[in-house]
Amino acid sequence: MIQTTELSKKYSGITVLNIPSLEIPKGQSFGLVGNNGAGKTTYFNLLLDLIKPTTGHIINNEIQVNKSEKWKPFTAAFIDESFLIGYLTAEEYFYFIGELRGMNKVDIDTFLEQFKDIFNDEILGKKKYLRDLSKGNQKKAGIVAALIGSPEVIILDEPFANLDPTTQIRLKKLLRDLTLNSNSTVLISSHDLGHVTEVCERIVVLEKGNIVKDIQTSDETLQELEAYFSV
Amino acid sequence: MIKHFINFEWKQFFRSSYFQKGIGIKILLFLGVLYFGGIALFLGIALYFILKESLPTQDPIVLVNNFLIYWLLFDLAIRFFMQQLPVMNVKPLMIIPVKRNTVINYLLGKTAISFFNFIPIFIFLPFSIVLLTKGYPVLNVICWFFTILFLGFSNNFLNFLINKSNTVFYVLISVLALLVGLEFFDIFKISKPIGIAFNALYNNPILGIIPLLLMIGLYYINFNFIKKGFYLDDAVSKKIKEVNAADLSWMNRFGSVAIFLKNDVKLIWRNARPKQVMMMSFLFLFYGLIFFTSKTYSNSPAWLAFASIFVTGGFLLTFGQLVPSWDSEYYKLLMSQNIPYKKYLESKWYLMVFGVTLSFILSTPYLYFGWKIYGMIVAGALFNIGLNSFTTLFGGALNRVPIELNVKAKAFSNTNGFNPTQMLIAIPKMVLPMLLFYIPYKFLNYEAGLLVLGLSGVLGIVFKDFFLTKIEKIYQNGKYKTIAAFNEKNN
Repeated sequence: MIQTTELSKKYSGITVLNIPSLEIPKGQSFGLVGNNGAGKTTYFNLLLDLIKPTTGHIINNEIQVNKSEKWKPFTAAFIDESFLIGYLTAEEYFYFIGELRGMNKVDIDTFLEQFKDIFNDEILGKKKYLRDLSKGNQKKAGIVAALIGSPEVIILDEPFANLDPTTQIRLKKLLRDLTLNSNSTVLISSHDLGHVTEVCERIVVLEKGNIVKDIQTSDETLQELEAYFSV
Repeated sequence: MIKHFINFEWKQFFRSSYFQKGIGIKILLFLGVLYFGGIALFLGIALYFILKESLPTQDPIVLVNNFLIYWLLFDLAIRFFMQQLPVMNVKPLMIIPVKRNTVINYLLGKTAISFFNFIPIFIFLPFSIVLLTKGYPVLNVICWFFTILFLGFSNNFLNFLINKSNTVFYVLISVLALLVGLEFFDIFKISKPIGIAFNALYNNPILGIIPLLLMIGLYYINFNFIKKGFYLDDAVSKKIKEVNAADLSWMNRFGSVAIFLKNDVKLIWRNARPKQVMMMSFLFLFYGLIFFTSKTYSNSPAWLAFASIFVTGGFLLTFGQLVPSWDSEYYKLLMSQNIPYKKYLESKWYLMVFGVTLSFILSTPYLYFGWKIYGMIVAGALFNIGLNSFTTLFGGALNRVPIELNVKAKAFSNTNGFNPTQMLIAIPKMVLPMLLFYIPYKFLNYEAGLLVLGLSGVLGIVFKDFFLTKIEKIYQNGKYKTIAAFNEKNN
């Protein structure tokens, strides 16, 4: 689904990301872990063509992302709050994204039904603009919006940060179900080793822009990761 | 403690992004300040002589006093739309051991050094000095000058209150509306007794104590108001407003761009900065009055073409020139969502067409000046829709200044208008219509000029797709730079 070839990104001579080759097959739940500055967000930004690669390229479903816009219809992402439109209410925002993905109000309303638990009565029907919601609730809205229209590729940067424990558990289940039932490719990054090992079939560890581990998740993965990071 | 506060203020000023702009912009800004300061200074000095010349029988100070109320109202209105209230920076001070009263005094004191409080000094200080040289009584003039200063500061604190309290705002607006109405329909001229009151103030310097007390009183009310609400969820924080949702589904008839248009309407309606720009663009409608009523300009009709561009182009020129910047807070979303770039640009084009059309409808009263003038406005509107809209979009590709939507622009800290590229782009917007009109006018007649100007706009509309495709390419090329620039402010 996603092929990365000879990809690198340099800022004024300093390499922040360098991936000679990485292939993520369709339907995989893929986790990126690494300390601050490891290049996780940089990789996602490159995948979304928000920054320009210094060398190499990424091919998303046979479309080279920095050459054509055709990857947009089947790719969705939530990276940070700048993916929210602050002056809209949550509903208006969902309708907006829905309309972009060819769904009408009724479709969206039925779609949102399944997230009732996660929203916990704090997001819908509140007459509040997104900019006035708490960080956690903003994140919830952003993640749900990224799932609208069953995109084939879903990219979530740090989806668990700022969420309350209950929602973290619900989100984990949701993400697992997503790859099991719908064949979506899910890419997430996280600082929480426990969460990623629970959700992802495959985990890649980045350090200073390089891939240092590429693990198929098993019972020992969490230990292995903890050992790696406890230096 | 105050020492620290001032130190912070200093750093905030010199480390803010607009100060780190290129030297060219700094010089332009400096020249801008000099220019406006110079005008105010000149006005202050010349005021006495102008009044003396035009109305020799009247005492200039009496005349000024009679009009002072309009000045004060104008000052208050400008402050309401432009003056940035110092609210957010207080947050980190709330939990450190500083007396609340100190912080509040500082907060209120800070509003005192606003640019708006210096305008009266620039105008009325030279005026007072001229009065003194003309042998007016020293004590009276000095007290009168201070009276005006006190009233300016009263406005300063009043503005704080009307911004923070809806009750004060609505009471003030209703009282003003009532008084203006009475004045307008000649029922009761409130400006008369106020003029008399100001003259009395001038003649009896001791009465200067009243504006002083007024200022102190307003300060005190503000102080209590803030002290009562000195909590994060109250006066010091940004107001969380209830959503005002309007049904915009009627806009769906605009087809595939309707979704963006609906968003843009909400953008304008729900954020402080675009609202402010809208107000400004409304004022452009009256621009024609200056040109159409003056003999000098009606004899050189190329200037009428110039004016007609402004009459219908207010929204286009002010809102349009900041086009991608309006979406800077969520630009990454727009760039990664299922939106072709061209659709996005097309929606902005429609928005500008919408703005021009609306201004055009509102400019119908210009019919009063006759068909010649109105024909010019029609041709100007066509030109705005057909060509200026594309020039504006093109200029937007070079504009990478992020905008904080819900923050009012500060006077003289907003360099968007001073961007040299924007200035260059603005030249063809004004000069081209003048040429398009003037050349056929010179060789044929007035109507031919109108026809050419109007038709050029129509041609632009016909070749819309061509222009949009070209502009899209430019946007695509600058995409990464734009994202990076918009990102800076967001983090």
